[in-house]
Amino acid sequence: MPKTADRIPASSRIHPAAFWISLFAGLLLQVTLPIEIPLARLFDFPLVLTLYYAMVRRDKIFGTLLGTGLGLAQDALARGLIGMFGIVDGLVGYLAAAASMKFELDQMGARYVVTGVLVSLHAPVLILVQHLLFESPPRFVLLDWVSGVIVNVALALICYPVLDRFRRAA
Amino acid sequence: MLDAHPAGIPRPTPPRTPEGPELMRAYIARHAPFFLLVVILATQFLLLAYQITQRHHARLIEVWAVDAFDPFERSLHGLGDVVSGAWGSLGELSSAQRENSRLRQELADARGQILQLSEAGVENKGLRSLLHLERQIPYRAVAATVIAASPGSSSSVFIDRGKTAGITVDLPVMTAAGIVGKTIAVFRHTAQVLILTDASSGVGAMLGKNGTQGVVKGHGRGLCYLDYVTNDEPVSKGDLVVTSGLDQIYPRGLLVGRVVSVARGEIYQKIQVKPAAHLDRLENVLVVFGSSPAHKNP
Repeated sequence: MPKTADRIPASSRIHPAAFWISLFAGLLLQVTLPIEIPLARLFDFPLVLTLYYAMVRRDKIFGTLLGTGLGLAQDALARGLIGMFGIVDGLVGYLAAAASMKFELDQMGARYVVTGVLVSLHAPVLILVQHLLFESPPRFVLLDWVSGVIVNVALALICYPVLDRFRRAA
Repeated sequence: MLDAHPAGIPRPTPPRTPEGPELMRAYIARHAPFFLLVVILATQFLLLAYQITQRHHARLIEVWAVDAFDPFERSLHGLGDVVSGAWGSLGELSSAQRENSRLRQELADARGQILQLSEAGVENKGLRSLLHLERQIPYRAVAATVIAASPGSSSSVFIDRGKTAGITVDLPVMTAAGIVGKTIAVFRHTAQVLILTDASSGVGAMLGKNGTQGVVKGHGRGLCYLDYVTNDEPVSKGDLVVTSGLDQIYPRGLLVGRVVSVARGEIYQKIQVKPAAHLDRLENVLVVFGSSPAHKNP
């Protein structure tokens, strides 16, 4: 629900060790899991972590910097050009933080709705950036997009409650 | 003109209105996060544009990232083997405990042994075929294990051999079944292999039956296309596609895959090729040095 003047959503903090370990583990799982489980290629751990921390901290600058940092790390570990995921994850981090400042996202349901919307936005924005930069960008495949959204929202359903255990009021 | 203001009483100062620069500063401060986002996005766009025009291969940030994650990837891979082994042993132990009669226990043991032997047999077969292939091909080659997949939308994997094993970029990578792709980035102990189904992959190829030349391009969904084969060339489902050697990367005559569908196009046929190598389950691969037989060690 939209925030009211007398009720501004309170931001939360995450234990620093849990924060850094989760980022590292997310990137590590992103590169190792698809070897054992081919379906895991659809997972986007850095995106899910960006969304979660941006919504919890309710800070647009934090969301932007975290998304950009994780995106750049993802770019560096992939074959892709440096900056591709950095742009998209940075934008998504900003939008997630903006949504959390505008709406009360303490309720799980609202958080998953915002997650679903922003995960849905991620692939089209990535394709758009590729269209702006490449002569022959990859095509947008609807089936891949739908399966990616479903898989990553499911991943958020698993990850958010785990990460919530390390959350405390700011 | 008369001054209506009474003498002796200080004239009230009108409320001070902020001036242009102050307004601008206040506006920027209020929208600082948005401006930061714009600056970060613009910087990355410029960085991307620079990379596209310069076509740099291994960038420093890539080297740092891969070197930082390499030990953990290896450990996780090893840990996975240990855990699956331990899990298997635990399963066997618990099933053995459930068995009351000696005969049933023996049977369970025998089944376990058969399973282990068959697993060992499969692995042995794979390694033998690689060894056989290494001896068969007239090029020097080094065996490697796939340790990680690449994150993101590209189809590439990391192998556990790098500069220290003499690997360089643009070396063909294959299994006994067929070619897998080529090395695109090399680090100290690892290398990144671009899978031939990746949308940016291209392999000089020809039809095995009549030598019709084309280029196998990745489709990104487990299949490839054999492009630039004109409509008048005879192509049929099931035809073998092999490397032509014209791309100066893959040696001539290596198996790429098999034609699975053919359709006429405007000028060129639309030929779908299924790779011969099992690209979704890569474990052991061979990195082949050079496309000229002169590279083979004595």
